[in-house]
Amino acid sequence: MTPEDKIDLKRRCFLRRATSTVGGLGLAAASVPFFSYWMPSADTEAAAAPIKVDISKLTPGEQLTVPWRGMPIWVVSRTSAMLATLPKLDSILRDPNSLEDQQPAYCKNPHRSIKPEYFIAVGICTHLGCVPTYRPDKGGISPDWLGGFYCPCHGSKYDLAGRVYQGVPAPLNLKIPRHMYLSDTEITIGEDKDGVEGAE
Amino acid sequence: MMRNLLIIFLLLFSSVLKAEGVPAIALAQVSIDPSDVASIKRGGKFFATNCMSCHTMVYLRYDKIAQEAGVLYDKMPINVASWPFGIRPPDLSLEADVRGDDWIYTYLHSFYQDSTRPTGVNNLLVPNTAMPDIVAPYQGTQVRVTEKGSSALFHAYQWYDLLVLDKQGTMTPEQFDAAMTDLVNFLHYAASPYEQQQHRIGWWVLGFMLILLVMFYFLKKEYWKDVKKHKK
Amino acid sequence: MNKLTEVKKTNRFMDWINYRYPWDAFMKKHLTEYYAPRNFNFWYYFGSFSLLVLVSQFISGIWLAMEYAPLGDTAFASVQHIMREVPFGWLIRFVHTTGASAFFIVVYLHMYRGLIYGSYKKPRELLWLFGMSIYLILLLEAFTGYVLPWGQMSYWGATVITSFASAIPYVGKTMLIWLRGDYSVSGVSLHRFFSLHVIAIPLLLVILVFLHLVALHHVGSNNPDGIEIKDKKGPDGIPKDGIPFHPYYTVKDLVGIAVFLLVFFTVVFFIPKLGGLFIEKDNFILANPFQTPEHIAPVWYMTPFYAILRAIPNKLMGLLAMAAAIGLMFVLPWLDRSKVRSVRYKGFWTKLAIVVFVICFIGLGYMGLQPVTPLRAFLAQVYTVGYFAFFLLMPVYTSLEKTKPLPEQLTE
Repeated sequence: MTPEDKIDLKRRCFLRRATSTVGGLGLAAASVPFFSYWMPSADTEAAAAPIKVDISKLTPGEQLTVPWRGMPIWVVSRTSAMLATLPKLDSILRDPNSLEDQQPAYCKNPHRSIKPEYFIAVGICTHLGCVPTYRPDKGGISPDWLGGFYCPCHGSKYDLAGRVYQGVPAPLNLKIPRHMYLSDTEITIGEDKDGVEGAE
Repeated sequence: MMRNLLIIFLLLFSSVLKAEGVPAIALAQVSIDPSDVASIKRGGKFFATNCMSCHTMVYLRYDKIAQEAGVLYDKMPINVASWPFGIRPPDLSLEADVRGDDWIYTYLHSFYQDSTRPTGVNNLLVPNTAMPDIVAPYQGTQVRVTEKGSSALFHAYQWYDLLVLDKQGTMTPEQFDAAMTDLVNFLHYAASPYEQQQHRIGWWVLGFMLILLVMFYFLKKEYWKDVKKHKK
Repeated sequence: MNKLTEVKKTNRFMDWINYRYPWDAFMKKHLTEYYAPRNFNFWYYFGSFSLLVLVSQFISGIWLAMEYAPLGDTAFASVQHIMREVPFGWLIRFVHTTGASAFFIVVYLHMYRGLIYGSYKKPRELLWLFGMSIYLILLLEAFTGYVLPWGQMSYWGATVITSFASAIPYVGKTMLIWLRGDYSVSGVSLHRFFSLHVIAIPLLLVILVFLHLVALHHVGSNNPDGIEIKDKKGPDGIPKDGIPFHPYYTVKDLVGIAVFLLVFFTVVFFIPKLGGLFIEKDNFILANPFQTPEHIAPVWYMTPFYAILRAIPNKLMGLLAMAAAIGLMFVLPWLDRSKVRSVRYKGFWTKLAIVVFVICFIGLGYMGLQPVTPLRAFLAQVYTVGYFAFFLLMPVYTSLEKTKPLPEQLTE
């Protein structure tokens, strides 16, 4: 038996490992296009661009709903009476001081908005994604109801700043999207003064 | 109603296409550089200012380079109900794939004066074309001559064998050639905007496969030592 | 000493599995203890390639269907949407379109291998029939897929091919409308072809491929010498000329696959339209029921049969000839009366016949791509005669010719 007749197990093992590694890397790289394919396409991205909303026709106490990225975006014109209800509820809310990251920094204030009179929020319940209804009627949900948003699916309650009540299934306050004022009567949803685009 | 109108347009257009027949002249070769974004944008700007009053480019709606060049969906003639001569000009998003770059380049060079046509011009490549000579302000006007030069003895006629410049436009022939090259480059881009990415990834993939091939070859050779021995 | 003494590690997980499912037994039967002749040559790569392309077509097809919209007024635009707006959509579509042509290239070469080495002869008749059924179903899959981009060639290809039904006596006209679901090819036809292309036919293909492989592993692989390796077994019961498929042929196929992918990706990334051969120029124009393109031909893989159809100046007869051209391939096992399988041991006449057949098949394929001229029409008729002569005269020349003596064992 000549030396070259011997099977070089080490060499064989090395070659097997090396080809599996490189081949595996190839398969991983080949999967990248298939993952990317599922990301929003150029036309979907274009449809998801920031929108402008005209709020000049909004009367005090009224709610305006505009669709953006398939989500209902609320603009509520709050009267001073409505704003006055907010501090009264602090003790029965989960997160009265908006500590959870559910709003841009410029809305982390007692009224959760840039201008106190206009409340802008994503109208999606933080429990399981239903759309709460706007209930400004005092005593409408319960005798002590001061006005707010009520989710018909599982009874979650929010006040007029979108802050969630204690003892309801929803865990978080309503989401405030990035937005900015272009003028006193026009706002942009999905982009803010910091130049950041998107909802987050 | 719109559907019926469209069918009528298509019918009219189809009869025009049938009359086109086989090109009588050789195609001039255009040398474009699809990686030259500046050239594509110049072509896009030319398209937006000169072609987009009639032709659409619908599939470039979401394309960034086209948008930057001014080829905007909102400005395209999408909903025009009636066209002069009853012919709807075709969408040009895929024209470079249908006709080829050289064809477009030659076509745009081959307009000549012809008073018998309603548009006042004819085209060597597409006889009786319905398209007016929109490049005339730049190129100038051309007239058809029987032939000039001797290049046609061995080859088919080139457009410049049969046409002479009658009155020069705002561009010199060299400038016009450059402008048309840019335009063809833009149309080429419009038909395959993925091409640059495609080629770039392609080289990586081929390089990787080559390495893998060498590795597999050594792996196979190693294992097949057994078979060689087995035979003895 | 030279025995492979790999330490068998005890694996409790695999023991658990194997107690409940025959994983190890399956792997042994079909890979590590499936003995294949050791003299496989170049022609034996194409079976693995077909399987690879099948998988690639499935995956890329599933992804394409996610963004494709199979309606008359959305199909064409949705393909452009995939090409331009969907991330890497162009890549997945080119993999699929190139895969369609690659499928036929490898399948034709795989069939040619079977033809020259007599892999259809006893006991492999069923294996051949399953394979031929795969080919037939693949033609249907390719046709239905070709309609989907809804360009001019899609539309007129669908019109011409569904028109075949109208040649059937008595029921033809009704059948034509039934096939199309409309009084001409329309979005309704497109939608049903989509359903067939993505669900029904692929399912059938998988079943047939399974049957093909079961039959193969039951009778064992043929080889270039065309002799049974099972006839000469060693004392251990293993064919003397056999080697385990895994690892020897798996590593060999990997080399082949790397070469195949090099060619495949060159097309995908640099010449995906292949000058109009893989994606025809007219298919970049939206389907228009009022204007037939000046030159209409099927995609290259169907043109041999299309040329036979055109060579016969009678609608019904042309269709019958075309059907017979495919049908004769099915009955090949019963046309070949030779005592030997492989062309290596067959006589002069078989070799000549195969050369004539290859010339005629490629000639027909080329004629089918070209516009008809009187000369071309004549040549197509000559090739058609040659094609049929190959099959119809086979019982004669294979039984009369003198064959060479077969070796006891493989020669290489």
